[in-house]
Amino acid sequence: MKAALSFLTPRSTVALILCGVALLIAPFVVDRYTLSIILLALLGTYLGQAWNILMGYCGLLSLGHALYLGLGAYVSAVLFVNYGVGPWLSVFIAMAVAVGAAFLLGWLGFRFRIEGVYFSLLTIAFAEIARIGFDNWSFVGGAAGFFLPVNAALQDQWWNLRGGPLFFYYLALAMAAASLLIAAVLRSSKLGYAFLAIREDPQAARALGVNINRTRFLALFISAAMTAVGGVYTAFWTNNLFPAQILETSKSIEIILAPIIGGLGTLMGPFVGAFLLVPLGSALTDGLRAIGLSAPGIKALVYGVILMLIIAATPNGIWPWLARKLGLEAREP
Amino acid sequence: MNKTGWIDRRSLLAAAGATIAAPAVVRAQAKSLKIALMLPRSGFFAQAGQSCYRGALASPKVLSDLGYNVEIVHIDTESSNDVSRTQAEKAINDGAQCVIGAFESGNTIAIAQVCEQRKVPLICNIASAPQLTSQGYQYLVRNFMSGPGLVTNGLKLIGEVSKAANMEFKTAVFLHSNDTFGTAQAQAMEKIFPTLNMPFKIVESIAYDPKAQDLSVEVTKVRGINPDLLLIVTRAGDAIKLTRDMVRQKFQPKAIMSPGSPGLYDQEFFDAVHEYADGFIYNLPWFNVKSQMTQALEASFKATNPKNRFDLDGFNVGFTFEALLIAADAFKRAGTGEGEPLMKAIKATNIKDHVMIGGPIMFNEKGDNPNIGSAAVQNIGQKPTVVYPADVAVAKPILPFPAWQGRK
Repeated sequence: MKAALSFLTPRSTVALILCGVALLIAPFVVDRYTLSIILLALLGTYLGQAWNILMGYCGLLSLGHALYLGLGAYVSAVLFVNYGVGPWLSVFIAMAVAVGAAFLLGWLGFRFRIEGVYFSLLTIAFAEIARIGFDNWSFVGGAAGFFLPVNAALQDQWWNLRGGPLFFYYLALAMAAASLLIAAVLRSSKLGYAFLAIREDPQAARALGVNINRTRFLALFISAAMTAVGGVYTAFWTNNLFPAQILETSKSIEIILAPIIGGLGTLMGPFVGAFLLVPLGSALTDGLRAIGLSAPGIKALVYGVILMLIIAATPNGIWPWLARKLGLEAREP
Repeated sequence: MNKTGWIDRRSLLAAAGATIAAPAVVRAQAKSLKIALMLPRSGFFAQAGQSCYRGALASPKVLSDLGYNVEIVHIDTESSNDVSRTQAEKAINDGAQCVIGAFESGNTIAIAQVCEQRKVPLICNIASAPQLTSQGYQYLVRNFMSGPGLVTNGLKLIGEVSKAANMEFKTAVFLHSNDTFGTAQAQAMEKIFPTLNMPFKIVESIAYDPKAQDLSVEVTKVRGINPDLLLIVTRAGDAIKLTRDMVRQKFQPKAIMSPGSPGLYDQEFFDAVHEYADGFIYNLPWFNVKSQMTQALEASFKATNPKNRFDLDGFNVGFTFEALLIAADAFKRAGTGEGEPLMKAIKATNIKDHVMIGGPIMFNEKGDNPNIGSAAVQNIGQKPTVVYPADVAVAKPILPFPAWQGRK
C-alpha cells in the first residue's frame, strides 16, 4: 500500500484530501440536481478507471466494455428478482460471468493473435452478439426490458441496494475511491509494470520474460470484473434494463470518453475526464436553454466542438497538462 | 385594553380575519400550475418527441379556452435515462409542481423515481412498459396503454374489421423489424396471439433488418407463401422499403395490417410513396375526429405548427394534450400545486370530453387509464382515416387491399 501511494507529493496529497472531503460533504452543501450530476461523474470515474486498466495500462483497446456492464447488470438483476439473491452475493456471480465472457474473448483474441484494431473489432462483436442475444431472450425480458421492483416496502433495504440518492451517492463515491486505489496498487505492483511493458513494446516485454498472454488475460479479467460491479450498481440504481441501452456500442463509447479526455494511462485521468464531461453536458443543457437556444441537437453539436477543442489543446489528456500547471505531477516510482 | 398589553381587540380581529382568509389568499396566489414537460426532442426518439412537442405548443390555447391556466417548461430528455433523471431533479428544484413525459419507458422510469422521492406527480403521456404502473409508484399515472394492451386491441380489431368488411382471412404472415420495438412487439404477439382464438393462423413469422438496403428477399418469401393477410410491424424507413418492394413484385394480399406500430402514418412515409401509402390499416389508440375538443386542438395546431399535418401528428399530439389537460383539471379541483393534494386530485380524474378515442379519462388503483380505446385507421387518399369502430369512424374500411396498378 505504501508503495502504491509513493507517487503522491505533499502538494498532491493535500489536493487529494481536499477533493475527498469536498465529495464527502457535497450532499450537505449542494442541491439534489448538482448531487445527481456528481453521482454520474463518480460512476463515470469508476467505469473509466476499469477500462483504463485494460487500455491505459496494458494497451488493449476495448470498444465493447458495455458487454461486461450489461452482464453484471443483468446477472445481478435476474438473480435478485427471480431467485431472491441479494446484490452483495450476486456481485461475485456477476463478476465471475463477466470474467467468463472476458476469458472467451481473450482466448479467441490472444490464441489467434488478433491484435490492434482487430482486437477492438472483436470486442465490439462480442458486445453486439450479447445485445442481440438479450434482445431476443424472453427470460430476461427481451427487447421489452427487465425491471426491478421499486415499491416503498423495499426502499430502506440498503443490504439489497434499495435506497435513496444519498445512499447511491456514497456508494458511487466508495466505488470511485476503490477504483483509484486498485489502479494505484496495480501500477506500483510487478503486474502493473508488466502491463506497462506490454503496452510499450510486447516483443521487448516477452524478451524480458513477461508472459504476454497471461498478463493480458489478467488485465482483461480485472477490467471486466470491475466493469461488472459497475453494472450491478447501474441495475439497482436505474431499476430497469434494456439491451438497447446498456449493451449498446454508444454505452461503450460513453465509458471510454472520460479516461481518454482525462488522460489515458494516468491515475487521475478518468476522474478528471468524468468530472469535466458530465457537468459539461448538463451545463450545456442548462446554458442553451437559458439563452433560449433550444433547437434539438444543438447541444450535441456544441459538445462535439468542445471535445475537439479539448483534444486539440491537450492531446495527451487534460490531467497531464493540469498536473503540470498545478504542480501536482506524480513522483517517478 | 391597555396599549402596552400583549394583544388588543383590533389586532385580534385582524388576526382572525387573516386566518379565515389565508386559504383563499394561498389559492389566489397559485394562479397557474407549473408543469415540466419532458420529451425526447433529440436522440433516438427525437421524431416522436418533436411530434409530442408540437402538441404541447398547440395545447395552451385550448386549455386556456377551457378555463385552465398552465405554465409549461419544455425539457429535452435527449432520449437518455441519465439526462431524464438529472433534468427531472432540476425541473423540480426550479419549481415544477407536476411533470409530464416522457414517451419512452426507460426515460419515464428514471423520472418516476425522482418524482416519487420528491412527491411530485408524474403524468405519463406515452410509454408502454406494463411494469411502469406495477411497481407501486404513488406519484405516477399513465394515460396510455401498456404494450400487451396495444397488441391485444390491435389483434382484436383485425378480426372485427374483417367481419365488418365481410372479408375472411385464413392465413397470415407476420413481418416485423428486428430492432428493439419490432422485437418487443413480436414477443408480445407470440404470447397474446394464441390466447385470442383468432380466425386465422400465422403461418410464418419473418424478422428483418430495418437498416437493410431493400426488403426484396423478405417480400419474395412472403409472396411465395401467399397469405391472405400480411401483418406488419414497421417504422417509417422500412415501411417505405417494404411498400416499394411489394409494388415492384406486384405482391398484394387481401389486407395489410399493423397490430400497432408507427411508420405507416409518418410524414416521410407519405412523402416517399405517395399514392402507394393508401390501403394500409393500422390499429392504434387514435384521436376522435368527431370530438369538439379534437377540432379545437386541430385548429390551434394549425396556427402553431403551420408546416405540419395534424392528422399525422395526432397520436402524439393527442396524448400529450390529454396529459396536460389531466394536470390542469386536477390543479383546478385541488386548488393547489402541492404534491399530495394535487396527486389525490389527479387520481380522482374523471374527464368525459377529451381528444382520444375511448371512455372518460380516469385511473384505476395502479394508475392506468382503463378506458383508452383503439381504432382501425386506414390510409385513404393519403390521409389516415378512422374506419372502425363505427361510432368514431368517418369512412368504411376498403377491403380487399386496393390494387397497386392504376393508382393516382
